[in-house]
Amino acid sequence: MVVADSAEKWEIQLRKGSLELAILASLWDGTLYGLEILRHLESSSDLVVVEGTVYPLLNRLRTLGLVASEWVESDSGHPRKYYRLTPAGRQRALEMARVWAQFSASMASLLAPLKKELRKENP
Amino acid sequence: MTDPEIQKTIDSYLAALRKQLRELMEEDARDIVEEIRGHILDKTSGGSSPEQVSATLAALGTPEELAARYRTEELLRRAQLTRSPLVSLRSLLHWATLSFTGIVVFVVSVFGYAVGGALVIFAALKAAFPRATGLWKNVQPDRSWGLSLSFSNGTPPPGQEILGWWVLPIGLLLGTALLLLTFRFGTWMIRKFWRPRALPQPDGPTNLTCVGGA
Repeated sequence: MVVADSAEKWEIQLRKGSLELAILASLWDGTLYGLEILRHLESSSDLVVVEGTVYPLLNRLRTLGLVASEWVESDSGHPRKYYRLTPAGRQRALEMARVWAQFSASMASLLAPLKKELRKENP
Repeated sequence: MTDPEIQKTIDSYLAALRKQLRELMEEDARDIVEEIRGHILDKTSGGSSPEQVSATLAALGTPEELAARYRTEELLRRAQLTRSPLVSLRSLLHWATLSFTGIVVFVVSVFGYAVGGALVIFAALKAAFPRATGLWKNVQPDRSWGLSLSFSNGTPPPGQEILGWWVLPIGLLLGTALLLLTFRFGTWMIRKFWRPRALPQPDGPTNLTCVGGA
């Protein structure tokens, strides 16, 4: 099943590539800590994010200067690391969102002929 | 499982993670471990059952897998930005454990650094012990000849010294050039060929899972 295998790989790459934008977008409206970002991603999209991938990615976004972090004491008894977008992060998120919108629009028109087939599969 | 046992499970997970992150800067590693500790505590707060704890830890991946994601991101970033041959070489060593290309680049780099370093040291020795350090041409009675490179505190070897003082600038120049070249080679190879796809993907297909949706 070479075809199925490569389709799956493609899907993984696609989701990996979009996770960065998804995280930046979830921080658009304010500061969140890691678990809040995870919950936000799960509640406002149908993406279930594996937790072990989000924290290293947040760390990378921080070292790239796209997000900034700050430890804040909480009632829970342990401090939490809050993330917010830096100006560079806001700019990057906007750029990525623009590309995404353009890309998905052109893909949608390209995929129009396949739509009938998909509707048959998922009535 | 009792409460102390749950605590022990969490603690040993974090200790293993900490150990796996030893290549990172002390402060960064501590930061990461604290963040993950907070995550686990938040996830399991309010009467944590052993199953809940196991599920939380499983979602993070094993300490090795989780640390590998941090390390790879961190080493890749540092290797691209670094101006230190030591950091570069350490990243190359890490790369060598991951792929064949990495092994080749690492071996070539070690060789380059060794020869370059030897040439610079040789030039320095010429400055310190000018009489006994140098390149000698040694002609045998049967007219065959050999070259001998010598550096010692003692008497110069027999034969005719060639290059003389030129050994110093040539050794220094050649050695420095080779060191620089090796460094540039390493960082260039990393930038060019070390792509995330060449790295292990511990997250596998469960990295991001789409559920629901029509």
